[in-house]
Amino acid sequence: MSRQEAFSTSRRGVPRFVIGGYVIAAIYALAILIPFYFVFISGFKDNPEIFGSMPLALPSQLNFDKFALAFERADMLNAMWSSLRLVVGAELLTLVLSYPAAYAIARIPIWVARWIELLFAMGLLVPIFALILPVFLLSVQLNMLYDPTYLVIFYAASRLSLSIVLLASNMRDIPIELEEAAMIDGANRLRIIYHIILPLTRSGMVTIIILNFIHFWNEYLFALILLPSDERTLQLALPLLRSERLIDYGLVAAGVVITVIPLYILFITFQERIVTGMLSGSVKS
Amino acid sequence: MGVMPRTQTTETTRPIKHLNKRVLTNWLSFFVFSGPALIVFAIFMLYPLANMFHVSTLDWEGLIKPSVNIGLANYEKLFTHDRHFSTALLNTAIQIAIALPGTIFPAFILGFFLSLRWPGYRILRTVYFSPVMLAAPGVSMLFLGLYLPDGIINFLLRQFGLESLTHVWLADVNTSLLAVTAVEIWAGIGFYTVLFFGVLSNIPREIYEAALMEGANLWEILWKIVFPMTLDFFGVVLMLHYMWLLLGAAQNVLLLTQGGPGDSSLTLGFYLYKQAFQIRDLGYSQAIGVFIFFVGLAGMLVIRLATHRKY
Repeated sequence: MSRQEAFSTSRRGVPRFVIGGYVIAAIYALAILIPFYFVFISGFKDNPEIFGSMPLALPSQLNFDKFALAFERADMLNAMWSSLRLVVGAELLTLVLSYPAAYAIARIPIWVARWIELLFAMGLLVPIFALILPVFLLSVQLNMLYDPTYLVIFYAASRLSLSIVLLASNMRDIPIELEEAAMIDGANRLRIIYHIILPLTRSGMVTIIILNFIHFWNEYLFALILLPSDERTLQLALPLLRSERLIDYGLVAAGVVITVIPLYILFITFQERIVTGMLSGSVKS
Repeated sequence: MGVMPRTQTTETTRPIKHLNKRVLTNWLSFFVFSGPALIVFAIFMLYPLANMFHVSTLDWEGLIKPSVNIGLANYEKLFTHDRHFSTALLNTAIQIAIALPGTIFPAFILGFFLSLRWPGYRILRTVYFSPVMLAAPGVSMLFLGLYLPDGIINFLLRQFGLESLTHVWLADVNTSLLAVTAVEIWAGIGFYTVLFFGVLSNIPREIYEAALMEGANLWEILWKIVFPMTLDFFGVVLMLHYMWLLLGAAQNVLLLTQGGPGDSSLTLGFYLYKQAFQIRDLGYSQAIGVFIFFVGLAGMLVIRLATHRKY
């Protein structure tokens, strides 16, 4: 497991790295903080104030007008609701599809299982964005053009590979003796899953849920292509705040802030889990 | 796996009738459990993938228009007559050459730095992960404020007396590609830093101790010990980001410059999108897609060969 203490800084060969390291770290940190700060305060300002002589100064007043306008112009409340519905639907479908499949791959001893596992693992290499047109064509063929349900199914399909690979590896870590004991006692697979596998894969499931949530919530291109204009997600709504002629940057900035807050709250709460989750996904695949 | 021998032993001591039933149940269970996932995967991922190849052989200019099979004519046009394509190819090559090492190497260094868990690492980690919270639209809108003629970047340049370096970043033929590439780098370093942080945290500290005692400094340790140790994972990360740059990066082009001005920021990924959804030459766009697919495969192979080690 990861070391919890700080690596000593006083040994020979370390101090120069400490200084150099902090300098580089600080540069990139500033490169992130300054723009974020700028966007955040601009939401309270008008264009003249933003692009005037002191764009980095704190706002002269806490004017929430732009935020209110953003909600109105881009219909953000409905957009958030659309995003939520899509994401929850996709999450549920992904879990329902990938969980049993992961179990089958991890625990059912037939030779086909290895090949199916390979199939899903190969799926991780498929460049999803290249499929943007064929996926669109499929929606037409299935008579589901601009039907949000299609997007939900596609989202789930696109995450099957990762979810199955992660869950299967999670399940393999469960000591097989537990299941064998249950089988000797006469339990069938379903009972084993319910009583043994399910509780012990809780951690893996939460990881998948969080990773997929971030992915679905942030997804842009496919939502852009596959949703009708009256069913926008939050990501699709944001660019609406930018008009062709004169960009009201305060408005745009307010919109960006609004978009970021849900995920930020999620991340702060689940920081450790997200990092470990990303890790096991990449290492195992 | 300790399972196989056990069940086989039990099976062979049972009557043949039970052996068949057990195996049959296994097969049945397997496909009942994995069937739905397989079906959805096949229909929504594999079929479109195959269809991409098929459509690339068609002359198809809009959904309501009929399509005609023209064999490899799309490819011929792509490689011989298309100026946009050669520009896109060059632009994409430049973008990847800059963004791939420009993102992954700094992320590796920063990830290592964080893994040492010196004071402030937790805050830094949160800060670095922030761009991940912003999706493509958010990042693009944010950068608008930086790239506008009166935006933050030009403002800072003026503050430091570098007025001559100011540009209209997104609308200048010379800087549009770099501007879009910078966005990718900015957004990408954070994510991979946290990823490397996780992996590098698992390296036993004794290795560093031992190396320090032999007179190495941390920078040498990073490149002569840590890097070779994690080369495999490094390669995986390179592959992932390479594929992203080839295709996913098109989103930022779409949101910031639409490939312009002219073709100065046209990338292969965006060109595919443009042909499919703006110009509506469906068959042609898929030829581009197939090309990108093979470029992706080739690139991943090269990276894998360079970094994968079998022990």
